[in-house]
Amino acid sequence: MFLACEVVASICLTAVPPATGRPATLPVSVQAPRLAQSGTSGSSNAPQSGPVSGYMDFHFSKPTDGPGVIDFHRFVLLFSHRFSDRLRFVGELELEHAVVEGLEPGGELELEQAYVDFLIRPEINFRAGMILAPVGIINERHEPPVFHGVERPFVDTVIIPTTWFDAGAGVHGSLGRGFRYRLYAMAPLDATELRAEEGLRGAAQHGSEAQVRNVGWTGRLEYVGVRGLQTGVSFWRGNTGFNTPNFDTSVGLFELDARFSRGRFEARGQHAHVFIGGAGELNDAVGRTTGVNPNIADQLRGSYVEAAYRVLPARFPHDAAVFVRYEDFDTQFRMPAGFVKLPQFDRDAWVVGATYWVDPDVAIKFDYSHVRSKSTVVPAPRSINVGLGWWF
Amino acid sequence: MRSASLGLAGALLMAASPGGHQDRPPARVVHVVAERFSFTPSEITIDEGSRVELRITSEDTTHGFRLIGPGDIDVEIPRRRRGEARVVIEIGQPGEYIFECSKLCGAGHGFMRGTLRVRAKAAAP
Ligand SMILES: [Cu+2]
Repeated sequence: MFLACEVVASICLTAVPPATGRPATLPVSVQAPRLAQSGTSGSSNAPQSGPVSGYMDFHFSKPTDGPGVIDFHRFVLLFSHRFSDRLRFVGELELEHAVVEGLEPGGELELEQAYVDFLIRPEINFRAGMILAPVGIINERHEPPVFHGVERPFVDTVIIPTTWFDAGAGVHGSLGRGFRYRLYAMAPLDATELRAEEGLRGAAQHGSEAQVRNVGWTGRLEYVGVRGLQTGVSFWRGNTGFNTPNFDTSVGLFELDARFSRGRFEARGQHAHVFIGGAGELNDAVGRTTGVNPNIADQLRGSYVEAAYRVLPARFPHDAAVFVRYEDFDTQFRMPAGFVKLPQFDRDAWVVGATYWVDPDVAIKFDYSHVRSKSTVVPAPRSINVGLGWWF
Repeated sequence: MRSASLGLAGALLMAASPGGHQDRPPARVVHVVAERFSFTPSEITIDEGSRVELRITSEDTTHGFRLIGPGDIDVEIPRRRRGEARVVIEIGQPGEYIFECSKLCGAGHGFMRGTLRVRAKAAAP
């Protein structure tokens, strides 16, 4: 269609610098401008992009009852390649906790995304490779400068196991009027990696010779049609019992979320509910083979709400926000018959802090995190956290 | 500042469009916000032959605005609070054109796409 189009008259581009900068313009006629030539060129302060992009984040955490820990948590490189207007590649390679040594606990080197997009029409495009599960706010949008708090929310750790990625394929597109969707088949979760305390966190196979006796189906419908509002619902459904051949288990997840901003005010909220089928049989079977009952729940549930306020007026080149987040999460919300719910897994948390953007792509973060549980015996963690996260 | 830069854009338009409509200002200004990982609005409808100015700002990092097809437009959208990109378009061929983010901006970069509809004059109300 595009090849047949003829452009009549003129096309002109200008990039207008902020009020404080020197006017810098790039007039372009119908010739194709190169992206690198445009933007706020003319200012020596303009960012320079290299051939790769990525993000990093680096934390110091001091629990109230233990020594401080410093961690280069994430070093992530992103690559993209355009084979043509209809064929794209995107890759995301992540090193977690800085060091990976054979057979040693510690860091992880993960291929989080490596997919090819076949762009057919706005309504339907195909994607295949290593892909992100389209569930929740953080899983597909996790660059450190775009969320508050040094660590990701607890709900996005134990209820939605971010970064949740696996081998898969599916379709995505726009339905018009601001609605868009994705629908993928992905490698299933592994039931034997479910945990009472950390829920789904370790259950993804991450495309590493993943078992696909069954596939997991996942999708998201989202609305981005109004400035300042992004909202979505997502699901996951799949059998998970490839390591327990005598019976089958399943995981179902339903999630809804919204982000809102107006002027200096920002808010977001998310709710996720997980249903595990066959949890009782799984507990019996794992208990028989290992001698330890994993006490996996029938249902897990978590929600959070967060409000933030940008404190610096728009004329400042820097930006800063204060935020507060309340999370309520329970990895043993409902137990299978015959298994006892443990109160230390019914938790809530207050996280309060600030984000200071030295640059729109460089965020210094500070927060205080106070987790509480229903247990009167097991202490719940509290910590002071400082982080530096950047995108380039 | 806003009116000053409007003047600038107008001047450039004249420079870039030889003959005919130098003194014709853009018929319409459309404000577009780019943010990880969407454009709002993501569907823009203009009339065939009308001159429209897109003013594109970012809510976060640097994005790109690439219009596939006419003119091979590919411009950088400066980061939050670092200004705006302006694209003046006048397309004489009705149809649907795709625009997309052309600057890798994060994990969901591949979803940053939108549609520019150029509606035939006769169909316009
Ligand atoms: Cu982008």
